[in-house]
Amino acid sequence: MMISNDTALMAHLLRRAGFGATRNELEEYLALGYEGAVEALLHPSEPNNMPDDLIRRYHVEQSELRDLPGSAAYWMYRMVTTSCPLEEKTALFWHGLFATGYAKLNQARSLLNQVDMFRRSGMGSFEDLLVDLSKDPAMIVWLDNNENHGEAINENYGRELLELFSMGIGNYTEDDIKECSRAFTGWTLGNAEYMSIRAAKDSIWPYGRIAWHFDYRDEDHDDGEKTFLGETGNFNGEDIIAIIAKQESTAQFVATRLFQFFAADEITEFGDKAIQAMMATYFSSGYEIRDMLRTLFNSDYFKSEEARYARVKNPVEMVVGAIRMAGSYQNPALGIENVSRNMLFMGQGLLQPPTVEGWHEGSEWIDSGALVERVNFVAKELSNVKSPGVRSIIDRLEADADAGVLDPVGLADGCLDLLGPIEVSEATRFVLVEYAARQGDLDLKGHQQGDEAEQRVGNMLRLVAATREYQLA
Amino acid sequence: MSTQTKSPGITLDYVKTVGIVNNGFNGRGFANPYDIIADNDGRIFVLNRCDPARASAIRIGICNLDDEYLGEFGRGNGSGDGQFTWAVAMALDSHGNLHITDEYNNRVTTYSTGGEYVTHWGNTGSADGELSGPAGIAVDSADNLFVVDQNNSRIQKFSVDGAFIATWGSFGSGDGQFNLPWGVAVDSDDNVYVADWRNDRIQKFSNDGQFTAVFGSSGESEGQFQRPTSITVDSEGFIYVADWGNERVQVLAADGSFQLILKGEATLSKWADEYLASNPEEKAERDISNLTPDLPAHLNTPYHISSQTEPYFWGPVSLTLDNQGRLYVVETNRHRFQVYQKR
Repeated sequence: MMISNDTALMAHLLRRAGFGATRNELEEYLALGYEGAVEALLHPSEPNNMPDDLIRRYHVEQSELRDLPGSAAYWMYRMVTTSCPLEEKTALFWHGLFATGYAKLNQARSLLNQVDMFRRSGMGSFEDLLVDLSKDPAMIVWLDNNENHGEAINENYGRELLELFSMGIGNYTEDDIKECSRAFTGWTLGNAEYMSIRAAKDSIWPYGRIAWHFDYRDEDHDDGEKTFLGETGNFNGEDIIAIIAKQESTAQFVATRLFQFFAADEITEFGDKAIQAMMATYFSSGYEIRDMLRTLFNSDYFKSEEARYARVKNPVEMVVGAIRMAGSYQNPALGIENVSRNMLFMGQGLLQPPTVEGWHEGSEWIDSGALVERVNFVAKELSNVKSPGVRSIIDRLEADADAGVLDPVGLADGCLDLLGPIEVSEATRFVLVEYAARQGDLDLKGHQQGDEAEQRVGNMLRLVAATREYQLA
Repeated sequence: MSTQTKSPGITLDYVKTVGIVNNGFNGRGFANPYDIIADNDGRIFVLNRCDPARASAIRIGICNLDDEYLGEFGRGNGSGDGQFTWAVAMALDSHGNLHITDEYNNRVTTYSTGGEYVTHWGNTGSADGELSGPAGIAVDSADNLFVVDQNNSRIQKFSVDGAFIATWGSFGSGDGQFNLPWGVAVDSDDNVYVADWRNDRIQKFSNDGQFTAVFGSSGESEGQFQRPTSITVDSEGFIYVADWGNERVQVLAADGSFQLILKGEATLSKWADEYLASNPEEKAERDISNLTPDLPAHLNTPYHISSQTEPYFWGPVSLTLDNQGRLYVVETNRHRFQVYQKR
């Protein structure tokens, strides 16, 4: 099978900066050229996602956003229907890095507000993002900053801000943690005491949940002198973050985490060059995430063969990618919460990362149980010949075939092409062709929805979903 | 807390709040209530649409203004006799039967107010009498039923037992056209009003479907709407609109001129008081909290404000009047209704 390198490279970009692409989407991005496509992805415009009014009308649970399943499904709808996939992908990246979970909060609405903040600030300055994160009420409750008082500090947030959210362990002292924590005293949420009781009791009474907002209590803030990473002053939280942002270790941390999410699970010597370039961009741009991503996507490493299929798709990428390819769930539908539940079975429940460290990415996504869930879900989506995206694949196969007839090689290669293109090993391709050959040539002329010819395409798409290569991004 | 014009022809006084969230499968309280009706005997019927976790308990709860929970009925979630999937709205006919729409099963189900399942009717489709997403439903003085057939962009008129009589409307934004209409009401002269949901306006028709007026446009100003869901009209012709997307209620005069806005001013219901009395720590913190806070700019939308401001309407999906001039506004996201008295 001959795949143009431009097409293969664009498909690679869209698997990383998005959730994969239908052939129509791929062609739209190809028309922009590679760098043009990168810019389009980096500058989200109107996302054209399923409108809130429609969602709220039919899904009462997504109007109230009280419980976890409906709230995860609400984000699912956004990811499935957005025309700005990098915006959602970036939000997902920060959701995994600044991992905040439902279990302690019992407050899904505020978690979704946090995700909205990631959309708003997630591609801007890292310094601004850390300020927004420190003011995020879900984060405040998650790491107990509402218990961080001028008279008695609670170090949880201060510690994780340095260890897990910016510099990484080994780049600061225990004293720095204390001073950092002092600077964030008074950063709390409105009605903090009442909201804490409600969160702890999982109280929805009397009238459902009350969402959260940031509140600064000057009287509870320790305005005394602090020494942090060698600098001294009457620092408040913003001052601490300004110091964090200018550290080399912070640049290294942010660049590495972006690389591992968007480029490759493992860092090779070649990959490290991209990380170094991203670090340089971090400083030259004033800590702009958008500029770091541009550096990454345009790097020689990212465009190289080495970076292809160098990541295991996370469950969100698997599920959202399959739904977008199939074109299902374009309107409010019963059962969307079961889809987000499926991601949980695969090991990644939206709004419920396992700990503050987020999910363990890479090969850990694929234990045998998760693999079965992954393959089953995608196979079911892609073999449903009633779905508009699958119908579009069938129509393209017919149009591209000589007189509507595909030989076994044509069927296997055609499906691999239209689902990606996906480049597979010779061994994988052999299995697909052999499977197709069992029923000989496929005549798609005059095909009708759900007939045997269409089902043969559905079965081939199902089989592709089970390949090793389909598990990789 | 109502915003009024300089000399409104109508005054509404807040009376009380009834309700509490019901997290279980039966009993006192409400679960994502979607419609409300008060009968002439002081019984109040609340249709609980229920979220997926509680779908098996989809039901009609009965209470009164003395906060007595009188009972409930329904046969759960599904498409069997008396069951619902996505129940939307109710109409009460002169025989004491409730007609309840189900926009998923594309049918109307009838129960007596005593809770006896009577029948259901309606088939999926777009031919005369067929339904696609039946939403609002209202009854006129002759016991004809008007059903908002949302996905067919039309209103259909039926006899009380479901025999097709007439239909009007098509998709669009012109006079007499609809875009995902939701609520419907009939006034004392049997005129028909439709909440043309996605066109952000109210349309008025004669009983046989002749277009007579249109009120409102898209926006947040007085007399403008964001996705109006429900209407009711009093004996003087005042038009009450659940302006759902703006999280408020608006009252118009019979000619459509703006009269006043209600934002909601819920207080603790009797059931809420009882909950807090048995949870004193929670009550103590609540008592010193500010439940009408100022919010940061990024949360400054009607939806976000209402999600954080408990007294305000949040998801005011339906409203109705009783024969004493009381207005009932039911809020799906707050599991309660607020009562106002027309002076």
